[in-house]
Amino acid sequence: MELAQQQKLVARLCTNREFREEFFANPAQVAAREGLTVGAEGLAELHHEHLRQFARLLRTRRLGSVGVALPLTRRVLGNRFVECFKLYALRPPPPGVERVVVDAIGFVDFLCGQVGAEVFDPAWSVSLARYEAARLEAVWLGRRLVVRWLPHRIGPLLVQLAKGKVEAGSFNRPTLAIWWRGTERGRPHHWLV
Amino acid sequence: MDGVENRVGRKTEITKLLANLPRLGVGLAYREPFRDELLQKQSEVDFLEIAADDYLDATPVLEEELELLAEHFTIVPHFMKLSLGSAEGLDEAYLEKVAALVKWLNPPWWSEHIGFTRAGKVTLAHPAPLPFTKDAVAVMKRNIITARRAIPTPLILENVCSQLVWPGTEMDEADFLNEVLGVGGCGLLLDVTNLFANAPSFGGDPAAFLERLPLDRVVQIHFSGGHESKGRFVDSRGQAVPEGVWQLLEQAVAQAPVRSICLERDDNLPPLGEVLWELERARAIGRQHRRWN
Ligand SMILES: [Fe+2]
Repeated sequence: MELAQQQKLVARLCTNREFREEFFANPAQVAAREGLTVGAEGLAELHHEHLRQFARLLRTRRLGSVGVALPLTRRVLGNRFVECFKLYALRPPPPGVERVVVDAIGFVDFLCGQVGAEVFDPAWSVSLARYEAARLEAVWLGRRLVVRWLPHRIGPLLVQLAKGKVEAGSFNRPTLAIWWRGTERGRPHHWLV
Repeated sequence: MDGVENRVGRKTEITKLLANLPRLGVGLAYREPFRDELLQKQSEVDFLEIAADDYLDATPVLEEELELLAEHFTIVPHFMKLSLGSAEGLDEAYLEKVAALVKWLNPPWWSEHIGFTRAGKVTLAHPAPLPFTKDAVAVMKRNIITARRAIPTPLILENVCSQLVWPGTEMDEADFLNEVLGVGGCGLLLDVTNLFANAPSFGGDPAAFLERLPLDRVVQIHFSGGHESKGRFVDSRGQAVPEGVWQLLEQAVAQAPVRSICLERDDNLPPLGEVLWELERARAIGRQHRRWN
């Protein structure tokens, strides 16, 4: 069916910038290569700017949901969170990205791996981001055992963040964060050591 | 002639069905960071709408969280990834999970969008608009029938952000929404912020556009804030609700038999107390137009 083919093409155009640029440079050729000749014919008239705007809206929605999934990291990093997310969203999304938590965990991996230390100011925010991502794994993805070694004292940080104000200080002292569930359907136990 | 009578008869039947839905009042799209404050301020939020796709395959902790919320609030499940506008048809396994969650929650209605999020291997983070064509109406009709067979709870459908305009359009957006709701026999979840954001695409007057929608079908209203970017309003749900959206909301509440209004807020979440005044303002608008006490 023609509409099904067109939707496949539009979905890719909205989510893959490289593919989008390539398509608008030569719609007929790209469509033929993708085996989408029927559906793509009409779509050559699609407005490049409309697609770009819609792609931006998709990114805004992803950012919104990831910000909700990592609320403390979002609050502490502020605009750096937004700017780094724009960079992250340029890359092909991680598999299973349709689940918001997978996207959020992928983003923290990106921050820790690709962006590196300069984004984490104050320095303890790296532990905070890794803690929030690990919690998503335990609570939302239901992993039986999640263990993280974090370079900062996450316990007092969480308490102070909940009160709305973090006292000055380095919080340097490693913490081991553990989530463990005895059975598949059990509640996870959580320790900060 | 029979066809016309049937359609009119069906329309009356659907309007009656919708009129029997409960008046929920003013609620909030639930976000986990709001949980503790919500439980302390229950009296200020009449119901919660959940991003229901996230609760399919729920872990025990999430099931408990839902149970806790359901003890204190009416919960309305709002889906995005069933993708009623997908021409490749519905994912049967996904539909089964949706049906199970709706059955478990036993809400007064459930909602999805007039758009698609699934095509081939790609899942979109937000529903994309459909082309305004008879073909697309037929796709929506087919998928709605399948979904309603699996889920007897009333279904309401939301208008999406339509800045992406497909070529080969056969009707305008207002006619398209009328057609889909007509053939689908569904209520409308009217997102006034989407309407506001779409205004430049259809000549710039959202109030006039609103007049052309089947307002007797409106069951719920969504509203949210946004920001200006490159001369356009972006519905980012991260800021306070602008005056233009409040005006549209008031116009819709004055003209449509709304049963509920829901604030959507993502990203950059403030403490709950900072958004409650927006709920209170919406509640006062509903009261003023006698939608609830
Ligand atoms: Fe909405």
